[in-house]
Amino acid sequence: MMQNISIISKTIWCNDEVLELTNQRVIYWKAKKSLILSDLHIGKSAHFQKSGIPIPTNVLTRDLERLKQLILHFKAENLIIVGDLFHAEYNSDLDEFKTWRIQFSNLSIQLIKGNHDRFSNSIYEQFQIEVFKKDLVLNCLKFVHDFVTPSTDYFTISGHTHPGVFIKGKGKQHIKLPCFQVTNTQLILPAFSLFTGLNTRNAPKNCKNYCFTNDGIFEI
Amino acid sequence: MQEKGHEPFSFQSQTWERYQNNFSGMVVAPTGFGKTFSVFLAVVIDYLNHPDKYKKGLKLIWISPLRSLAKDLAKAMNDAVEEIGLDWAVEVRNGDTATKDRRRQERLMPDVLLTTPETLHLLFSQKKNARWFKNVTCIAVDEWHELLGSKRGVLTEIAISRIRNLSPKLRIWGISATIGNLEEAKEVLIPYDVKTTMIRAKEKKKIKITSLLPDQVEELSWAGHLGKQMSSKIIPIIYENTTTLIFTNTRNQSELWYQIIIDEEPDLIGQIAIHHGSIDKVQRNWIEEAISQGLLKAVVCTSSLDLGVDFKPVDCVIQIGSAKGIARFMQRAGRSGHSPFETSKMYAVPTHSLQLIEVAAVKEAVKQHEIEARQPYVLTYDILVQFLVTLAVGEGFKPEETYAFIKQIHAFHYLTKEEFDWCIHFITQGGNTLKSYEEFHKVVLEEDGFYRVKSRRIAMNHRMNIGVIVSEVILFVKFFSGGYIGMVEEYFISKLNKGDAFVLGGKVLEIQQIKDMTVLVKRSKKKKAITPSWMGGRLPLTSGLTHFLRLKLSDALTPNNRERELKFLYPLLKRQETNSHIPRHDEFLIEMIETKEGFHLFVYPFEGRLVHEIMASLIAYRISQIKKLTFTIAMNDYGFELLSDQEIPLTEENMNAIFSKENLIKDVTASINASEMASRKFRDIAVVAGLVIQTQPGKRKTNKSLQSSSGLLFRVLNDYEPSNLLLKQAYNEVFDYELEKVRLQAAFQRISKSKIILKKASNFTPLSFPLKVDSLRGTMSNEDLSKRIERIQKQALK
Repeated sequence: MMQNISIISKTIWCNDEVLELTNQRVIYWKAKKSLILSDLHIGKSAHFQKSGIPIPTNVLTRDLERLKQLILHFKAENLIIVGDLFHAEYNSDLDEFKTWRIQFSNLSIQLIKGNHDRFSNSIYEQFQIEVFKKDLVLNCLKFVHDFVTPSTDYFTISGHTHPGVFIKGKGKQHIKLPCFQVTNTQLILPAFSLFTGLNTRNAPKNCKNYCFTNDGIFEI
Repeated sequence: MQEKGHEPFSFQSQTWERYQNNFSGMVVAPTGFGKTFSVFLAVVIDYLNHPDKYKKGLKLIWISPLRSLAKDLAKAMNDAVEEIGLDWAVEVRNGDTATKDRRRQERLMPDVLLTTPETLHLLFSQKKNARWFKNVTCIAVDEWHELLGSKRGVLTEIAISRIRNLSPKLRIWGISATIGNLEEAKEVLIPYDVKTTMIRAKEKKKIKITSLLPDQVEELSWAGHLGKQMSSKIIPIIYENTTTLIFTNTRNQSELWYQIIIDEEPDLIGQIAIHHGSIDKVQRNWIEEAISQGLLKAVVCTSSLDLGVDFKPVDCVIQIGSAKGIARFMQRAGRSGHSPFETSKMYAVPTHSLQLIEVAAVKEAVKQHEIEARQPYVLTYDILVQFLVTLAVGEGFKPEETYAFIKQIHAFHYLTKEEFDWCIHFITQGGNTLKSYEEFHKVVLEEDGFYRVKSRRIAMNHRMNIGVIVSEVILFVKFFSGGYIGMVEEYFISKLNKGDAFVLGGKVLEIQQIKDMTVLVKRSKKKKAITPSWMGGRLPLTSGLTHFLRLKLSDALTPNNRERELKFLYPLLKRQETNSHIPRHDEFLIEMIETKEGFHLFVYPFEGRLVHEIMASLIAYRISQIKKLTFTIAMNDYGFELLSDQEIPLTEENMNAIFSKENLIKDVTASINASEMASRKFRDIAVVAGLVIQTQPGKRKTNKSLQSSSGLLFRVLNDYEPSNLLLKQAYNEVFDYELEKVRLQAAFQRISKSKIILKKASNFTPLSFPLKVDSLRGTMSNEDLSKRIERIQKQALK
């Protein structure tokens, strides 16, 4: 059993919406009672195992446990996942997810398909997931997987890049941390799974970075 | 041979005789004295005397560390065999061998096979490979001293043990240059219960070392590794000699020096070439050929030409910068004046002023004939895991039999049954001893009691990963119109854009396109181009050399008349003495300097970079016990620097405690756990053990969904599977408890007997400057991450 995680949040305005960024890699959107997250990569550890690379299975167990605590903490009724929910083929990790899913039968899940999400619709139906091929628009927010073109009508929320930031301090110190990247028109979510790398290049122009630690969230 | 009028050297006839009497052993001789023929002809003579004892197929396996050596050796052996009138086939097999030749060899192996440790392991991964090795009578390991101190040495040890298991009467012979631990080297190569002997040539190579000095001491900078200002001194030397090899320490330096020389002396264009490991093989072969034929005046090279066949025309060697070790220095010097009784000529070119002390130290060491030891690797679980899978891909293996012959190998002498079982568990169920991974079926135990790999994809991935040389992700560089130039690291290319110019193989190239792990380029006329840097290749100073370095520095202010390097440096050393201090042999110097960057602590143990890395994190750890701090750590071969954004609480009162030899090992262990060092070591281990799949240069990236970084895996395993043996190995490699402990304890013993001198300087001193500008860096912190970020934010607001 995992210890309780500490959830610290920071509220920002995106157009007319209030979003709560947390240090646990999700956004809480109070108006819709929704958690917004990206890049869970369920099935990644089992996919590695299948190819002869032993990755501990509890990576997924802890990711799911963290998500459970977040859902209970915010009393969320809906998950908006902006892509890469599943990593590869159907494998034993998905069975674990199935078991996890049953305990939240009232929770609805909306998935915007990512480049890794390649299952047929029937599989998503099994998991009671509503799938959007390209994007999903709710109020003034537009959810996509990978940010391609800027939109003037909507504020875009995406994932895919696993953003990170490089902080430089006096005495040649540097720290690399995952972050939310926010500009006037878009937001990029950090990857939810802890079994993911960080990309500190290719940040959007003029973006603010909200990086976080186990017990804090900071604007850089 | 004798009929041709060659009188054999006594070590050669001695080898022949001992071999006849069924000895295994090691031959120690300088290059150029025919050490190859000592062992090769021993086998031939034995065959001629007892042809009936030999069966068809492979008789002699000749392992050499370099592919480029094999080709010329095979030619020499073939000539000898022909002269004797023997119907033996001598062939090469390595990564360069064409597929059709490999298939032919697999049908019928030649009598003599020249190969590398990696290729032997690849042979083990083939179906029914045992039949090739059943009648092998001798394995010869050439340049054993080169393999010994690396993980490739362990690959060699394993290969020998496996072949000995198939052919129990095998004789094992090593050929080595002089190193500090020859007896141990022999033990590592032949740990078996057989008759062994050591044969040393009496012949000695004469070496003449001259250092090149600039006209004024001010012309040499305090730091740096290029030494460009010395180019005018080098040109006359190139003209005075027939062919000169110019050794640099990195590929980056060699590219830059090639440019410097042709800028200084354009007449040399066409008579000077560049040779390093990232240049296309075909071109390298061409250059080697050209050297042999005396077509080149000079070649700028790296360790790529450290070993190899004799280049007759080479009569002079120039070493740019430090050679980092006595053995390497002598090896390189030995590349000139190759024939037995000639003198090797070596010019040492300092790239910064302090290096002159190093040259003085090397000269002293060569004079006293003190050559450092090469330490063998032990308990490399990553290689064991790789080898077990290799066997499982090949014929399959039975654990008891395999454990028995693994245990005999020097590297695995102390392997416990539990550790061996963990390795089996790791490749069959995934390592976590509490829980097996459902989807993990890399190696499967079959009903006949054999472990085998069933999946063809896993077998293929494994074959591509065999070996222990871990490189960055490499891209081929190719002209748009066709023709390879060489290789660069992805890391370097990722910083460039289309149209940017860079230098490779002495050519200025412009990026056109990057496709399928290949960089397509065209020639560029741009004046400004970037020189690629290749990671790695930075060698630490060996302990043998650091000892002499401390001695030389100690009497640097009172040099004797013959030491022109120290006399030349006098003004600079005087300056160090005035601004701070020059440590005498019974003193230990610490400097504290405050600058805009923060608070610097410089410490000068003169123990070589490897020891400094551990000492630095140890001292950082001890200081951070007084007050929570974050340090940036830098080290070079002379000392290390701790840099912090906050004041460092080191004083005359507590310095003896902080540099105390008490609780040494306990504190070292704690500091290693707090630093990033193990994570860096894990990088190679993860690849060797098959946790990270390497992408082959020039191949399309295939395993995209299987990509992960070793840093990420290190973190995941530390969090979820701390008992993993490969993790343990990473920590062990940072601080080899058996080997480094001795050196570290000796260093602290020395410090405890020395007078610690703490100087506060207002500016960087000649000793501290190189550390500030030119060193490798790491971090160590025991502060709370959130607190650090908050402080960085506050500092930014100031």
